[in-house]
Amino acid sequence: MSDEERLAFLRSNYARIVDLLGFKFTSDEELVRDLLEAEVMLEKKFGAPYCPCQGRTNNRAEDMRIVCPCIPYHRAHFDAMKRCWCGLFIHKDVDDPDSLMQFAPNES
Amino acid sequence: MVNIKLYTLSTCPWCKKAKRFFADNHIVVNAVDYDLSDEQDQAAIQREIKALTGNGNLSFPFAIFGDIFVVGYRPDRYRELLGLEAQPDER
Repeated sequence: MSDEERLAFLRSNYARIVDLLGFKFTSDEELVRDLLEAEVMLEKKFGAPYCPCQGRTNNRAEDMRIVCPCIPYHRAHFDAMKRCWCGLFIHKDVDDPDSLMQFAPNES
Repeated sequence: MVNIKLYTLSTCPWCKKAKRFFADNHIVVNAVDYDLSDEQDQAAIQREIKALTGNGNLSFPFAIFGDIFVVGYRPDRYRELLGLEAQPDER
């Protein structure tokens, strides 16, 4: 499977999963492209599509918490931000993803 | 000027934005790509972030201004800590 095919697969697969979680892809297409390309590379290198904006610890159990889509592991935090950490997914009711900011779990 | 450390990931678009913010504002930072560091340095960065945040989340970009940390790409907070003029719609 080529990188492009893998990227298309991840995209269609994620869409169905995050829809059930109340999220959708950000409308920022450039960001979607950058993040999915990074995930395809990370998957080839480390065996899973890890979040491009969260660090791996080499502890497999811990690192499972940042395999995309990692929303279920960070539900309260991402609901507070109305986006996931890297911004690939936003709440369904958000129209302007640029208005959303990252902040730490205990910050709001 | 306070010493600023910026931990980033080479795969993260928000980390690139953070680096560009400091460069555009002519602010010298000690920037380190966590994912490109060796295992020893990664372990040290993990310890430092955990000591500051109290949790094990390795969310980037992670900026440290002296003894204050900012998690995520937050140009509003960077400006506040640097005493720069606010720019509300900066993304």
